[in-house]
Amino acid sequence: MNNINFFYKSKNLLPILFLLITTFMVSCSKDSDSNEPGDIEIEFDNIAIVNGVERQLTLATSGSTDYSYTNGKGQDFNINLLRYYITNIKLTGPNGEVFEDHIHVDAAGTEGIYLIDEANPASSSVILKSVPAGNYNKITFTVGVEENGVKEGAAGGNLDPATSKMFWNWNSGYIALKFEGQSPVSAGGTSGTETLGGVTKGIAYHIGGWKDVTGTAFVYNNKTLSFDFDTNAKVKKGQQPTVHMVFDVLKLFTGKNTIDFTGNNNVHKPVDGKPAAENIPTAFAFDHIHQ
Amino acid sequence: MKEKIVLLLAIATILISCGKDDVPIETSLYKLVRPDYFPQIIYPIENNPISKEGFELGKKLFNDPRLSLDNSVACSNCHVKGVAFTDPQHNPSVGIFNQSGTRNAPMIANMAFQSEFLWDGGVSHLDFVSVFAIENKKEMGETLPNVVYKLNNIPEYGPLFKSVFPKIDSITSPYLLQAISQYLLLLVSDQAKYDRVQRGKDNFTAKELAGKRIFEQKCASCHSGALFTNYKYMNNGLDSVFKDVGRELISAEASDLGKFKVPSLRNIMLTAPYMHDGRFKSIDDVLNHYQHGVKYSSTLASELSGTKQLGIPLTNEEIDDLKLFLETLTDYEFISKPIF
Repeated sequence: MNNINFFYKSKNLLPILFLLITTFMVSCSKDSDSNEPGDIEIEFDNIAIVNGVERQLTLATSGSTDYSYTNGKGQDFNINLLRYYITNIKLTGPNGEVFEDHIHVDAAGTEGIYLIDEANPASSSVILKSVPAGNYNKITFTVGVEENGVKEGAAGGNLDPATSKMFWNWNSGYIALKFEGQSPVSAGGTSGTETLGGVTKGIAYHIGGWKDVTGTAFVYNNKTLSFDFDTNAKVKKGQQPTVHMVFDVLKLFTGKNTIDFTGNNNVHKPVDGKPAAENIPTAFAFDHIHQ
Repeated sequence: MKEKIVLLLAIATILISCGKDDVPIETSLYKLVRPDYFPQIIYPIENNPISKEGFELGKKLFNDPRLSLDNSVACSNCHVKGVAFTDPQHNPSVGIFNQSGTRNAPMIANMAFQSEFLWDGGVSHLDFVSVFAIENKKEMGETLPNVVYKLNNIPEYGPLFKSVFPKIDSITSPYLLQAISQYLLLLVSDQAKYDRVQRGKDNFTAKELAGKRIFEQKCASCHSGALFTNYKYMNNGLDSVFKDVGRELISAEASDLGKFKVPSLRNIMLTAPYMHDGRFKSIDDVLNHYQHGVKYSSTLASELSGTKQLGIPLTNEEIDDLKLFLETLTDYEFISKPIF
């Protein structure tokens, strides 16, 4: 009440009022500047959690009998190759923010299809561009390439079968996740990209199967996973947060199913890959955000 | 005077229509045209528009044995044009190092209208069919990366690929596969007598008509439509114990054991040997199988597991008429077309 009277009575305060309003307007327009879309990085770190300690993976050269890891059955192994596809990335936020990564596939290249390859450190970083400004606290993605990637036909870029070596010719489609290594308990005879027939103790798990046809027994092994963040990733122009996701390769062999390296260790069919595929959801986890 | 004007007009009309027709005739040779009684085109043609240069490059690749490991086996070794792109010589076909395959080389025709390929339907896109043959250890035994490497080192191929796909800097696998598909897509067989009758330009003889009626009664529930297949996977009673599991390999479903894709019957009289493993040398062997040879197993097609007797009852006269009708599916223009 008093304030209103004060303004009414003090006409010489009008210039100040004008200044206040102008300042308010300017700061508003500054705000809208920072509401422009920005970039966000999703980092996929391949790790092994051994006795509760998170360790970065080391790849062994093909043929090496230096075994750094142990599976849930107490069987030692090493890793020669680890490669997987991440597609259909979607981010959502607490205030209705939604970003869906665009997918495009043709002979010239691909968009929205990411091939994470442990042998290529740069591939672990996925940078999503032109993400609407806002807070994001949840990520959804698919491990594997869905029908929308296969039905377009021959594709280049990350899907080029000659360079990715992630393609099945006999049951055409892309392998979702490829693991190759060696274990002293393996009887050998496996075949793969690195772990060839000559490698006596090879283990090869090529996990794929994209045909998801209702009413049939086709083994569909792609996994669509969602993870909540413990804090918001704030996206706006000039500020690029990094979301760190981890993939614990040891959990590929434990979890829903315990994989035995003395059993079927030469996996090249959807049906054979199902047990390890069912472990994929718990092998991935959200780790932290760098704002 | 009036007559002269009429004459001039007539000449002008002819000239105009000639001029109009010239261009379409040349380009229509390289255009995928769907006869109106065919199923829809399934291949996403907008991803890989066909050109004369693309078709010719695909044809060159199809006939080039350098796509195989020991430079001995081209696609055309086992898919011979004169017999509707099947293999009349070998049973089954022979790949690198004189290895025999396990399945009979299927006809290549009307590929644009199909959604799944090979005897078990494992390949879901035409572009990927050639990867299968190139990488199959018993067929061409190569790897796709190595074929790409070889092609980049054969001087004649670079400019050819560049003329079809101007934006590329080097040959990569998708362009190799697209070029082969451009060739395969245009291998449309739609000029058999059956097709002329469909277009109202010919008539069946009385015997052919009789054969057609028998076909419709006894064969067309599986060999249906203008391509004479229902595109399904079925067990036609060849075996009761299966050396080759067929569709089960792809679907991992026990009820698919011993099932194979129902083949198109177009050009059937040219495409011996028959069945997925090429076990029958003649059409008489095939018809004899359906008459007397069908074996029971749990996945046998219900069409062949009649209550009184397995198979399809046929009289000798019916068989003669049936063969006359099947002969009308032979497309002589298809197997002799110069551009193929």
